[in-house]
Amino acid sequence: MAAEPTIPVTVLTGYLGAGKTTLLNRILSENHGRRYAVIVNEFGEIGIDNDLIVDADEEVFEMNNGCICCTVRGDLIRIIEGLMKRKGTFDAIVIETTGLADPAPVAQTFFVDDDVRARASLDAIVTVVDARHILQRLEDSHEAEEQIAFADVILLNKIDLVDAQELERVRQRIRAINAQARLHETQNCVVPLEEVLERGAFDLDRILEIEPNFLSEDDHEHDDAITSVSLRSEAAIRPELFMPWLRMLTTNQGQDILRLKGVLAFPDEEQRYVVQGVHMLLDGDHQRAWKPEEPRTSRMVFIGRNLDPATLQQGFEACAVRAA
Amino acid sequence: MATTAADSPLIQRHGRHVELEAAPTALLWLGTNAAVTLGDGRLCWIPDGEDAQPVPVHGGAILSACRHPDGTAIVTGGDDGQICRVSPDGAVTQLGHFPRKWVEHLAASPASGLLVAGVGKEAIAWTRGADAPSHRYAVASTIGGLALDAKGKRLAVAHYNGATLLYGTNPDSGRVALAWTGSHLACTLHPEGRFLLTALQETGLHGWRLADLRDMRMSGYTAKTRSFSWDRKGKWLATSGDAAAILWPFDGKDGPMGKAPLLRAERKGALVTQVAFHPKDEVLAVGYGDGIVALARLADENTLLLDTAGAPVATLAWNDAGTRLGWGCEDGRVGILNMDARA
Repeated sequence: MAAEPTIPVTVLTGYLGAGKTTLLNRILSENHGRRYAVIVNEFGEIGIDNDLIVDADEEVFEMNNGCICCTVRGDLIRIIEGLMKRKGTFDAIVIETTGLADPAPVAQTFFVDDDVRARASLDAIVTVVDARHILQRLEDSHEAEEQIAFADVILLNKIDLVDAQELERVRQRIRAINAQARLHETQNCVVPLEEVLERGAFDLDRILEIEPNFLSEDDHEHDDAITSVSLRSEAAIRPELFMPWLRMLTTNQGQDILRLKGVLAFPDEEQRYVVQGVHMLLDGDHQRAWKPEEPRTSRMVFIGRNLDPATLQQGFEACAVRAA
Repeated sequence: MATTAADSPLIQRHGRHVELEAAPTALLWLGTNAAVTLGDGRLCWIPDGEDAQPVPVHGGAILSACRHPDGTAIVTGGDDGQICRVSPDGAVTQLGHFPRKWVEHLAASPASGLLVAGVGKEAIAWTRGADAPSHRYAVASTIGGLALDAKGKRLAVAHYNGATLLYGTNPDSGRVALAWTGSHLACTLHPEGRFLLTALQETGLHGWRLADLRDMRMSGYTAKTRSFSWDRKGKWLATSGDAAAILWPFDGKDGPMGKAPLLRAERKGALVTQVAFHPKDEVLAVGYGDGIVALARLADENTLLLDTAGAPVATLAWNDAGTRLGWGCEDGRVGILNMDARA
């Protein structure tokens, strides 16, 4: 039996008051021709009645799977399985998390649970950031930084409440934490929804656009605990070296690695290999054929704490096919 | 085992298929009348030899179902927060409504007349004859499973980091807390109440011998166990979650501790999703993730193919007399096997 296509899942994070509810109400009320099942943490905040809105409990528990930092959201496993019984009544799922939620258990749920993986796939983590308050939040909240670090898409919202200089400081700060996410600057979360929802492979391609080390050292006026490291190689990557290297890296440094993503060119392989990970968990697959005009550049992005760009680059390069 | 999809399945000679337009979530029997609950909120009665008779019951999906303790109706729990009693004549009566909650678990006992629903972090009980909730028990996290013993008094509630044992007919019941790290997704009590087994998120079972609360681990499964079935003597517990039906021995006082399980109806590369012991004979019905349904004899390795490949088998049940076996697959295919007809 052919595997059925999986339902795309968008995770919405952001600190209290950043504008998540505004975005959710748009998703629920706009005439976009798609039907979304929405999992919310506080039903009362949503002004719309819809039988595809589900209350979540944010029940996080530890897995006994030998993976020391592995926590998952039990309620999501349950809710997604339950929603699948009404399949055909919705096209995609949006999960709202509380402002204080750590995104790791949500993301890990989609890596760990086989039944969830068979039916749903994490499409993107979207983080709504309040331009006016984010710098303060980053000083006093660990979660605000993690939510930016985990994001595939960032909505830098309420930009009308800050001046140009302040906005530039916020941009730089976000980029220092997460150089890879797609950044949209908005007022009232006004952004075309197709830029946020069901992004699919689009955002994986994003890592190919990033210039490694485009941030020079003096951009770091704040010593952010979380940083991004981008790696690239023009030479093909040997899977027999790359896989053990990545496994070793995530085993040893998994607690510090919040997210990793890569698009890889293996020798004599027509397909692009894509890999992504959260902490110690990895998931990789052949995605699609390289296009004829597409340069076969391999790229990796790591976002996390205590990342040493030189060591990572060295390790990555050691996996490349050496020039004859 | 020799069963392959190419064999002629028994249902072609001694049964029939009924195609429903939604995913079956449970199949239960009242005599020879099958009730199939569906993901679109309907319950479908399939009386012997007659057409399916759908009854709209819930606004969303029916997530749980059991027989009413009085044996004359089905009780359903929905993602619309309702608990309903559905009679074969099509009458629907609401027994409870918990707005914005999902009713994911139901258990009932004809012996004690008790009906219990798992609604979020509460087990809600109806005592014999009650048409509104009688009392409730709160646990610390969302309920993963409910189970009653054969007398219908001992109630087990599985949840995160363990399970809780109660007397379900007593509103002031004392409770026994059984701790084990992890998410416990389903549970079953030995008919005599000697053992409690739960299914874990990480796969495998955890068990407690209730006489001394000794822990047991039963591991080695490739997928989560979702289906349990006790044989009529309480000697074997059949479980899903691997390429074979895994049967644990419970005849001695130590249960399966230190003993190997019996494996039946193994199919390489397939996954057993449902198991159901015949109510009288040592025969086990097995449903797989690829839609195959087979019958396995405990005494030997023989199996009999009942249905061909299709969508995963989601529910499987014998009627009380053991004369009908019914199953439902995720694509809406229902199979009804008539054992009376088997010459």
